[in-house]
Amino acid sequence: MPKLIFRLFFSFVVFVSLFIIVQRFLKPDSFGKYGHYRANSIEDNQISTLYYKGEEKCTSCHQDVYDLKYADLHSEVSCESCHPPKIDANTECEVMPPIIKGSIEFCGQCHTFNKGRVKKGVPQLELNDHYKGENCIDCHNPHAPWELKK
Amino acid sequence: MGTKKIKTNRRNFFQTSAALIGGSILYSILKPIDSISQSIEEETKDEIVNLPLWGMGIDLHKCVGCGKCAEACKLENNVPREPFYFRTWVEQYTVKKDGDVVIESPNGGIGGLKQSVPIEDIFKSFMVPKLCNHCSKAPCVQACPVGATYLSPDGVVLVDDTYCIGCSYCIQACPYGARFMNPVTHVADKCTFCYHRITKGLQPACVEVCPTDARIFGNLKDKKSDLVKFLQKNPTQVLKPHLNTKSKVFYNGLSSEVK
Amino acid sequence: MEEHFQHLYQALSQVDGYIYPNEIDLHWGLMIVLYPYITGLVAGAFILASLERVFNIKVLKPTYGLALLTALAFLFVATLPLVSHLQHPFRSYEIFMTPNPTSAMAIFGFVYLWYLMAVLLLEIWLDYRLDFVLWSKESKGFKKYFYKIITLGINDTDEKSAKLDDKLGYFITVVGIPSAFLLHGYVGFIFGSIKANPWWSTVLMPVIFLFSAMVSGIALVMVIYMVVCWIRKVRIDMPALDTIAKYLFYILIIDFTLESLDQIHRIYEAEEAFDIIEVLVSGKLNITIIYGQVLFGTIIPLIVIGLFQIYKPAEKTRKICYFFVGLMVLVGIFFMRWNVVIGGQLFSKSLSGFTSFTAVYTGAEGYLMAGVWLILPFGILAFLLWLMPPWKKVNARA
Repeated sequence: MPKLIFRLFFSFVVFVSLFIIVQRFLKPDSFGKYGHYRANSIEDNQISTLYYKGEEKCTSCHQDVYDLKYADLHSEVSCESCHPPKIDANTECEVMPPIIKGSIEFCGQCHTFNKGRVKKGVPQLELNDHYKGENCIDCHNPHAPWELKK
Repeated sequence: MGTKKIKTNRRNFFQTSAALIGGSILYSILKPIDSISQSIEEETKDEIVNLPLWGMGIDLHKCVGCGKCAEACKLENNVPREPFYFRTWVEQYTVKKDGDVVIESPNGGIGGLKQSVPIEDIFKSFMVPKLCNHCSKAPCVQACPVGATYLSPDGVVLVDDTYCIGCSYCIQACPYGARFMNPVTHVADKCTFCYHRITKGLQPACVEVCPTDARIFGNLKDKKSDLVKFLQKNPTQVLKPHLNTKSKVFYNGLSSEVK
Repeated sequence: MEEHFQHLYQALSQVDGYIYPNEIDLHWGLMIVLYPYITGLVAGAFILASLERVFNIKVLKPTYGLALLTALAFLFVATLPLVSHLQHPFRSYEIFMTPNPTSAMAIFGFVYLWYLMAVLLLEIWLDYRLDFVLWSKESKGFKKYFYKIITLGINDTDEKSAKLDDKLGYFITVVGIPSAFLLHGYVGFIFGSIKANPWWSTVLMPVIFLFSAMVSGIALVMVIYMVVCWIRKVRIDMPALDTIAKYLFYILIIDFTLESLDQIHRIYEAEEAFDIIEVLVSGKLNITIIYGQVLFGTIIPLIVIGLFQIYKPAEKTRKICYFFVGLMVLVGIFFMRWNVVIGGQLFSKSLSGFTSFTAVYTGAEGYLMAGVWLILPFGILAFLLWLMPPWKKVNARA
């Protein structure tokens, strides 16, 4: 084989071999176990701070509120729907209790009239016309909305 | 005489280096092989058969567009609060009497969707929550050049934060606009079905807070699950079926105007 | 990041219609427009060189070496816009380590490596080897050491080795032509295979990219040849220049036909996405498509060079026309890449609205960076021409 071709071929083989060696060492270990991805990433994705605790955790202290809510129309609405957690699920609520102001703007998220919301089981009204300017919770108990204070 | 010695030396050099290189290649091939034994392969198959297949149902007859799902998702998953990054969002479609369709999703619906078209012009209106469809034949998984996004054995399309190079090809490939480039981590980001919750038996945050039970999460393999019952009872559709992505988010009441 | 959010808020206020909330920011910007542009120049310059080498169009001999060195200079720079664009450039080695077999983009590393090393460098080396040996004896300093090392110790200057170089070079060029097609065709496939984007998703995309690449490469070599001759104060070989222009003409016709076919087909079938695409082309992309790409970059060059096929004016007129036509084509093809990449992201996948492209001047995706990546290859080319001048070669190939 002419020297030229031999040298070129040899360089090519060396290069490919070096490439394969580097690839074997740099490829992550769990790669390819379940598919073309790093299998350990599945576990990585399972590790993330939990914020929402679920109603069961709420009832461990607030069973009375839950019972009240259960008897009225907001029974289908979970506690954290209106009281989003401010801290992660492992910390106690007393640290930063999620208090809601019950303003028109807040309750309006569900109850402001919108043609796209009619006949879905959620009472709709023009909140600004309804007892103008007051907060909803001034009259309505948020956990038992048909229990009016006035 | 001298050239002969040089030739021998050169030959020795080549032989030694060939041996070294060949040996290294052999070692690097054997290294992974001896850690994979037959039993582990069988184990993997068993694992997959017993795993759930996660999916979601959305009942458009129930969604009121309160936006709590979008808000809860951002909180649960540390998504930047700016109105450019959403793992899930709610759209409002307003079909006007003259036939025009107005679609809106201000801040993804967070804070509640508000009607912007005057009531006298409205023919009909409805809300559509959107999220990653966790397609069984995801075009984003197909497109990723390095294998940083994938379909997990339990049917969730996930992103490997440590591996993504940030090329945005998956974002271009997603037909549903479900992906975005996270400005903090600089990798592709999207709904994960709250993988860190569902693998602990909890519901995704959006399902947890929905006040009207418009979102139904469950195991498609479990015939007793709410999701399967939902699929059985209702005529469901997926978004963009002509793209054949085998989406696992099923809508009940999907009107033809929905994009 | 605050600045980025500012520009996003501004874009949000300029949204026309409805876009999916995540679509507000264009993910592929100027850098991704540049990458196909630069690889296209490489592929095109190489094809021009191969016209002489493989198809024996001898009149092109004066431009052979120049075309190869142009291809090499631009190939060195080709990856850099991509690296500028990546959010995690230090992880880019992953494309080589775990390329996803289903991803068109994953081919990038291997096609690039293969084309750079196995084709282009090898061909240039084989073409210049004899000259390196001879030059190493005459020159001094850096050049001398460079020539000595680059010959890899093969110092034969006899007729037999020259013939072997020639034969191998021919073989490499033959392999190189499909490799050049692959180098740019796969870029077209990256766009053409995205079913989510109706502006990109067409079977013709790889072919269109390929032919527009050839057009841009040929135009580039034409312009560079004229500039280099002017710098060297050497007479331009008019038959060579006329032939380059002729091939530019032929391939521009094919390119124009393909692009027109794509659009006619789209207009005729008027599928779901057509309504928004119609608004896109007549609105946001109006100037860059109709005036930039079609009129300026295709129609006028076609008319000018086409006219020259029938009636040949004086040499001086032809030279001026070729120069400007070359520049026009280069600009037109840049607009073509712009229209594909940016245009495809301006409209929403909801087919109901538009976002906007905000020009950025600084930063990794800015005009300044683009300017650097475009000027750098010329610097490299100048260096290569100093190091390995094609006109000083021993054999007549020049």
